[in-house]
Amino acid sequence: MESLHIEKTKSTPAIYFDTDNHKLSIEGQSYPENAFKFYEPLFNWLDKYLQQEQQVVIEIYFHMPYINTSSSKCVMMLLEKLEDAYKAGKKVVVHWYYDAENETALECAEEFKEDLVLPFEITPVEAEK
Amino acid sequence: MNGSNNDHKLRFSNTGEESIMYDRGTVKVVVFACFIIVLAVLLTGNISYFITRNAVVDKLKSRDLVYIIESIATKVDSRIGRAQETSLILAKDPTIVQWIDGEEKDEVLGRLAKDKVNIIASDFDYANSFIVSAKTNHYWAEGSRLIQVMSETDPNASWFFEALKSGKSINLNIDYNSGRQDTFVFLNALIGNLQKPIAVTGVGLSLKDLAQEFQQDKIGNQSNLWLVDANGKIHLSDDLSHNGKYLNDFVPLNVFTQIIKDISNTADAPKVIEYVNGEGEKVDLVYRTTKSTDWKLVYQLPRRESIALLGSIKLNTAIASLIALILMIFVFYIVSRRIADPLKRALLITKEMEKQVAERTRELAEQNQKIIDSIDYAKRLQESILATKDELEKVLGDYFIVWKPRDLVGGDLYWVRSVSAGCSLVAVIDCTGHGVPGAFMTMAVNSILNHIVDQSNSNPADILTELNRQLKATLHRNDLNKLVDDGLDIGICRINNKELVFAGAKIPLFIKRGHEVHTIMGDKKSIGYRHLSDDLEFTNHTWQIETGDKFFLTTDGFIDQNGGERDLPFGRTRFIQAILDLNENELFQQQYELERILAEYMGTEVQRDDITVIGFAVH
Repeated sequence: MESLHIEKTKSTPAIYFDTDNHKLSIEGQSYPENAFKFYEPLFNWLDKYLQQEQQVVIEIYFHMPYINTSSSKCVMMLLEKLEDAYKAGKKVVVHWYYDAENETALECAEEFKEDLVLPFEITPVEAEK
Repeated sequence: MNGSNNDHKLRFSNTGEESIMYDRGTVKVVVFACFIIVLAVLLTGNISYFITRNAVVDKLKSRDLVYIIESIATKVDSRIGRAQETSLILAKDPTIVQWIDGEEKDEVLGRLAKDKVNIIASDFDYANSFIVSAKTNHYWAEGSRLIQVMSETDPNASWFFEALKSGKSINLNIDYNSGRQDTFVFLNALIGNLQKPIAVTGVGLSLKDLAQEFQQDKIGNQSNLWLVDANGKIHLSDDLSHNGKYLNDFVPLNVFTQIIKDISNTADAPKVIEYVNGEGEKVDLVYRTTKSTDWKLVYQLPRRESIALLGSIKLNTAIASLIALILMIFVFYIVSRRIADPLKRALLITKEMEKQVAERTRELAEQNQKIIDSIDYAKRLQESILATKDELEKVLGDYFIVWKPRDLVGGDLYWVRSVSAGCSLVAVIDCTGHGVPGAFMTMAVNSILNHIVDQSNSNPADILTELNRQLKATLHRNDLNKLVDDGLDIGICRINNKELVFAGAKIPLFIKRGHEVHTIMGDKKSIGYRHLSDDLEFTNHTWQIETGDKFFLTTDGFIDQNGGERDLPFGRTRFIQAILDLNENELFQQQYELERILAEYMGTEVQRDDITVIGFAVH
């Protein structure tokens, strides 16, 4: 399966799914006008990926300083898909990075983590000075 | 009026097209190129003309003139040479010798001898033939006539006695007859011993015949061919009227002198002179001596005659140049048109495009204005559902409200409701989405909330449970579009005298008491989303109000707004600090302070979400 690559814009994050290494990274702010439309290709792609790969090993790196309400709904949907995969016995790990000064991002990550059983690490990143 | 207006427009557009067709630069290039071509053609034509002329003149001087003079000289010489031969033959004729020796007494011999003389003259086309005896001094001429008896005292007979004394087998005697305008050349051969000749015989030839040949051999009409003697007297010319005149009647004196005084042997190497005649014309002249006489042949040819043939070359060159010029100009015209045409097309296309773009822009502006007008109307509608100032004052007393939709309309809503005397509800709601979709949501939420309260429900947690149920029922009536999954966050307070009950769905309540801010987080659940259960439970938080307590509800627009040095969200901590820092003014003044703090934080960043903050103090 080919890798997925969506370029970053001011209001949407960069999405890169490296199929060879089974790593999905989402990096950047997310507040598009229509979040569902933006995330739909990722959902479809992930569904296909989860179906095709029998031994799914997937690591996800999130680094999202700001997510608006509808985007966070989409991230939740994404995490739920992975949760289902995890529960089905596939290996899924989530790494969530946030700016140490950005309490909103931490709260957001904690909210996501709350309802999930899959491995979910939240790591603060010190600002580069 | 209209007509003249149209005319003006038409003229204007025509001028525009012409300026495209005949671009000034193209015209300049064509004119310049034509000028260069004209120059080149003229230069080439002139150079080739001068080269040709020089070559022609050079050839004329070194070859043609020499050739002409030599061929004429050869003719003269050969005529005289032949006559000389003939005279010698007569002198050696035994019949004649015998007849003369016998003093012309033998009649038979006499008849034979006279016949010979006659035959020579008539058959070989000589003007005269004669025998003059030294014994009898009888002059026998052609036609067997005895025309004279020579006498030593007769000057006309002097040639005879001189010939007898000369001791040369042959003498040449020239006799110009002015009456006949003819020169006769007599070739006198001695008969017998050269020291003691018995007679002189010979032939005389007229040079008039040669004049005809002169006319044939010369070039041009203005040229002259003369045979002159040592004194410059013209004995023969192509023009008979010149005969008997002198050469200096026709050529300048210095030229005449040069020719006459030239005693060098010019028979083998004719001399060429160039001079200017009395009319200022250049003339080429060639002369040489004949071999058989000391006469000189002079041939004179005006330069303009010799280069007359160049006239046709000149004309042809001019015609060729003109044709080349016209062709070149034609080619240039075609080429420049070919070059100008795509340019012209491009300009016309650009013009057309600009027109279309302007048209589209105008259409878009119209469309945009329509949409803005429509949304503007929607804004008025949305504002009409928001609580009025009176309602707010009645319910909240001292308060402020910041309501800043990101667009003209938004998904944020503040809502107040007086339930009964001393009991009222206040809520801040953040629906998913903003702009028009958010506004749709607020309209629905407003109705649902009112509807719930109308059914005498004033318990905040119950209101949220009911709101969740009814909103889900309203928004997700069918399962066709699973991606449509909308809901809201809400914070709601019931104020009943000195008791405040708060229930929150992802919206906290901030309470400022003295120098402290208490945060009641509420529940971490949203309302109305597809996946939520229909009977969500929410928690009521009760707060006993003291005088000076100030309450703040805000949607996430304020706290999530990015800005600052590192472009991070404003954040809850900063918000709490901002509330703490607000001085104890009337609340409505605090609104401006909060707005200022946010504006400072945002800097040049744009507003990311709808912002609603409500602050109130209960009296």
